[in-house]
Order: sequence, then structure tokens, then C-alpha cells
Amino acid sequence: MAFCMNNKFLLTRPNHDQTVRYISTWAEKVKSFAEKKNFTVLDLKNNRAKRKHLESMLKKQDPSLVFLNGHGGSNSVAGQDNEILVSVGDNEDIFDGRVVYSLSCCSGRELGPALVKNGTKAFIGYREDFIFSYDEKCCTRPEQDMVADKFLDPSNQVIISLLKGHEPKESCLNAKKSFFRNIRKMLSSQSSSLESSSVRYLIWDMQNLVCLE
Amino acid sequence: MEDEQKLIKEIVIARLKSLPEDIGVSIGSEGNFKKAELISSVEEGGEMGKKIIEVEMSFLRGLKNGILYE
Repeated sequence: MAFCMNNKFLLTRPNHDQTVRYISTWAEKVKSFAEKKNFTVLDLKNNRAKRKHLESMLKKQDPSLVFLNGHGGSNSVAGQDNEILVSVGDNEDIFDGRVVYSLSCCSGRELGPALVKNGTKAFIGYREDFIFSYDEKCCTRPEQDMVADKFLDPSNQVIISLLKGHEPKESCLNAKKSFFRNIRKMLSSQSSSLESSSVRYLIWDMQNLVCLE
Repeated sequence: MEDEQKLIKEIVIARLKSLPEDIGVSIGSEGNFKKAELISSVEEGGEMGKKIIEVEMSFLRGLKNGILYE
């Protein structure tokens, strides 16, 4: 394993609104993959996706890999009920020595650079809003939404690649390739109008995914 | 310049009108939008509308620059 100093993987999965329910549901697939790979999974789900639990787990369990799912801004990422988990000028050293993937909006702009400056080994995230489209008919069953799948599966590839032992930059590139494969597929004549109309947002996410070291 | 902005807005609205009716779009903490809401955001010209225009124009510029052939 290139970067994993231990086999501990922490993820946050809030569920207080539709967007975070979607991304947290899809993160379940990554969780299962990590378990199959014999990682100890520290799943901060729903009301446990709060700062006090995050800080406690980081201190007690010392996971090498962290996956944040939640709303974000250029200088912070939030958890359950939009409670801020990490922000610039507050707890920027919280991920010292760890690799972090943040599936949240804009955190690649200021938060990512600040974390890396303060010891985070690598930060993968988005410089702009993470946008995804979905099938209105599947709102209550995110795991069955094959439109959202085209976004969230490439996003999951970041963590899956890291769990396989790839370096952060390579993992970021693998995710971009996965986005690109879906873009090509969705432009084919076999794709539905829901899928082909989502290409604009896939390109947006692919272009804004960054790895900072 | 004003004419150009007006033209861009018209292009974006025309493109959004071609979206299927059952699509929803999640734009981070801005929320979830239905097709009609995306269109009205652009028509109103607020921050959300500007964001939607930026995404559409980024896509069109990408096509022009051969993003699908990289």
C-alpha cells in the first residue's frame, strides 16, 4: 500500500436533506468495498456525523483515510444538520497525515489548500459546486436512481482507488476517467433523454475535481 | 455587451427547455431544482441563475475545445 499507514477508514454520512441522503446512500457502496478489503470502517452516520464524534474518532482510532459527505463551501465542510466539521482558521490541522476526499461543494478552493498546508497528506475535492442530476421518480429510493449513479459511481472511484492502494493523484485521475467513460456512454444513442441531458453536469464535476498535495 | 448577455441567457433557456420533465438537479447547498425552477432562476437573473448559465456555457465551451475527444 502506497499511502495507507493503517487499515482504518472513516466516513461521514449525514441524512438531513435530499442531497446528502443521496450521496450518503451511495457512500454505502464504498463502505461495503472497504469492509471486503478488511478495512476497519468508522461510519459516522446520521446524527453521528457531528464534529465531536469526528474529532473523537480521529483521536482514538487515527484513520489514514477520510471520506467526507456533506454540504460545503469554499472554506468549510459540514455534517449532520449542516454543523461545520472542519473550517479554515479553526481546525485546519485535524487531518494531519491523512488522505481526505470531500464530496462537497467548493471545498477544493480554500479549505483543501489550507488543510494541506497544515499537514493533510492529500486532499481531493471540488473547486466548484458538485452538481448531479437525478430521476424525480426515484427521490425516495436513491440507490435505485440510475441517473444519479452516473455521477456518484465515478465519485466513489476516488475512494475505491485509494482503498486499492493507489496514490491520491492516481485515484483522482481514475475517477476522472470514470466520469469520462460515463459521459461517452451517455452520448450514445442507447442512453435515455434523462441520461444524455445530464452530460453537461458530468463534465462540470469532472473538470472541477482536484487533488492537492 | 448587454446584447451578448441577453443572447447567452436566451441560449441557456432554450437549452434548459430541452431537458426532460422528470429530471431533478441537485446544486449543492443551493438545493434541488426541477426543470421549471432552473428556467425561472435564469430568467430572474439572480446568483443561482448566473451559476446555471456558467455551467451551461462551460459545457458549450468544452464542446468547442474538443473535451469529448481528449
